Amino acid sequence: MGVSLRRLWAVARKEINHIMRDQTTFILVLLTPVTMLFLMAYALTVDIQHVPVAVLDSDRSPTSRAFVQRMMEGDDLDLYAYVDSLGEIEDMLMRGTIKAALVLAPGFERDLLTLRGMPLQIVIDGTEPESGGYAVDHIGGRAEAFISELLACHQNGPFQGVMVRHMQPSGVALGSVQAIDLRVRTLYNPSLKPRVDLVPGLISLVLGFPALSVALTLAQEREHGTLEQVMATPIRRAEILLGKMIPYIVVGLVNVIVIPATARVTFRIPFAGSFALFFLLSGVFLFAILSMGMIIGVFIHTQPAALALSFLVVFFPGFFLTGIFFPIAAMPEMMRMEALALPGTHYAVITRGVFLSGAGLDVLWPYGVMLLGLGLAFTAVSALFFKKKLG
Amino acid sequence: MLKRIWPLVVKEFLHLIRDWWMPAFMLFGGAFELLLVGWATSRPISNLPLMVLDQDQSVASRAVVAALENTGTFELEAQAPDLAVIQDALDRGQVNAAVVIPPDFDNEMASFTGRPTLLILLNGAESIPARAALRAIEGATSEMGERITLRRLGLDPEELSGFEPSLRVWFNETLSEALYTTPAELGLMLEFTVLLFAAMSFSRERELGTLEQLLVMPVSSMELIVGKSVPAVLVGFCDFLLMLGMVHFAFGVPVRGSLPLLFILAFGYLLVELSKGMVISVISRTQHQAFLLVMMIGMADFLFTGYAAPVESMPPIIQGVANLVPAHHWLTILRGILLKGATLDELWPNVLAMVGLGLVIGTFSLRYVRRALD
Repeated sequence: MGVSLRRLWAVARKEINHIMRDQTTFILVLLTPVTMLFLMAYALTVDIQHVPVAVLDSDRSPTSRAFVQRMMEGDDLDLYAYVDSLGEIEDMLMRGTIKAALVLAPGFERDLLTLRGMPLQIVIDGTEPESGGYAVDHIGGRAEAFISELLACHQNGPFQGVMVRHMQPSGVALGSVQAIDLRVRTLYNPSLKPRVDLVPGLISLVLGFPALSVALTLAQEREHGTLEQVMATPIRRAEILLGKMIPYIVVGLVNVIVIPATARVTFRIPFAGSFALFFLLSGVFLFAILSMGMIIGVFIHTQPAALALSFLVVFFPGFFLTGIFFPIAAMPEMMRMEALALPGTHYAVITRGVFLSGAGLDVLWPYGVMLLGLGLAFTAVSALFFKKKLG
Repeated sequence: MLKRIWPLVVKEFLHLIRDWWMPAFMLFGGAFELLLVGWATSRPISNLPLMVLDQDQSVASRAVVAALENTGTFELEAQAPDLAVIQDALDRGQVNAAVVIPPDFDNEMASFTGRPTLLILLNGAESIPARAALRAIEGATSEMGERITLRRLGLDPEELSGFEPSLRVWFNETLSEALYTTPAELGLMLEFTVLLFAAMSFSRERELGTLEQLLVMPVSSMELIVGKSVPAVLVGFCDFLLMLGMVHFAFGVPVRGSLPLLFILAFGYLLVELSKGMVISVISRTQHQAFLLVMMIGMADFLFTGYAAPVESMPPIIQGVANLVPAHHWLTILRGILLKGATLDELWPNVLAMVGLGLVIGTFSLRYVRRALD
């Protein structure tokens, strides 16, 4: 079954005319990926700060006050209120006015100065543990510094001699007694900023949006009764399917040019690799993801159903299961298999590679091959069932 | 009036039954998806591929490797023969992290003033697993380091204990991820379902040319709107019940507060989203447009809900906008009732805000849609 370029072009031109005639839709289709990238990148990469915290200080000593003051320095934690009882803390957590609380037990100063320990409890709201966890990390780090400074000031502490001899020269803080020196080197994204790798990852999601449109166009032709006319022409099934995809591949490729520029200008994401390679592999990805949308169009005959299904098959898994947020290695076996069947999974590796590590074809070819394979498989399935479904 | 609305409602349900794929996806698709996503992602990060280059090959270095294995976070790859292999694996994204144990590690550990060093290489191109890996490595080595320090100081470990603050987690004592992620995902899924359903209502009739027929019938625009709303709210509410049952039974999400209160507020929230969806449905000329608008508006809402990032960390202007987004208050209410056992006593500001916004949006929507239809 040969595919004629002339007939393919005829179908593509018809589809382009459709799109261009309805300019509002055309603009929406064109703008959706960039807009979504914008919204998601902002929504998902807010640096946690200003965590509202309540303090219950039962010690009321100069040390405990200095400790609290030290913890609240900077933008990380905001002192919401001093409270007098645990009940108040519970009430505030319940209302969501605080996300964490510091409870300093009586004897805080004495215990610290005699090296008996640090009677401090941190209470966090388990329903939003990101803020609470951040507060815990922040307090842990600062408490360590606070304790070593405090002990350095108080020359009469029982372990002062030991500390000066062994710990100070090596710079080890007593708080954590971390004696193993970890030299951390982070490649490709030295500050480990989530935005730097999320934005390239999200491209694999937002470039999939034209697939949702493709799923609709076949259903649309069926609803309007025009599919019958197209089928009556000597155009082959595969040509109809591929031809319908071409304009959306073009729309996608426009976005492939616009998106790296946006990522660079707005989010300051580096682009380390070759743009030509990115463009090529993005084309392959568009073919794969649009073929996936086409399968929906072949099986589902009305637009609302096609919409609902494409939302469930393309959008949600593209968001949660492609390894952008949650590493695929940590998923259950079955989910890992599903993740491998999603074009976004492979494309996310490609985008992160090209943007951040400057990976070349020698590294990325397996993912490109996977995308091509998925695209061909999806197209074959749709062509096969397109025929049967019509009879 | 009821006599005239009833046939309209029946008409809508006939549509739904004839095109049964659509309600089926709306009802069960969301719940099924929630199950998949919850199952796949609400778990601690584990199995991260880690490469180790042990240049020391001593008792101490093997203890480090064993400690890393015991964290449960890593899946240890075969030992790397040299740094080039590690670099290559990182470049290819095959491993998230690598640990190099230098040749003098054992000696440094044993000597009194020694400073044992480990080189950690992280693949920053995937920052979430990289952070998890670093955290696990720090945890594993700090315990070892603590033991050495104490030995060097000649201290009894008991004497130095207690410098770590103790931690207490409220409302989610075991810090289960499913408990805090699935209710939020449920809330979002519900928003998209109702928005999508409502946005299709008039845009579909218009695209198929049947809106004309509806408009020439002897029913008022108000009756038309009610007729379109009943199925959307009904499907949305059933979807909500289904998903709620699922997160409760499959993921053990508790219902600590009052269930009737939750139902009433969920119903109210559905009406608010319905009003938004109706406006989209009369703005759009085609279903395709309606769908794209729903995606963008839904996503913009998502930005402000506090699901992905705490609202109080955002700039003050954005916080102000977030307070105008019904989904933000809905998510607070949902989490509050399910996980905290909150009552109207604590939730009234959010309830008030949601009702107030709902009235504004609802009134606007009703007037706008009626004008568009008349």
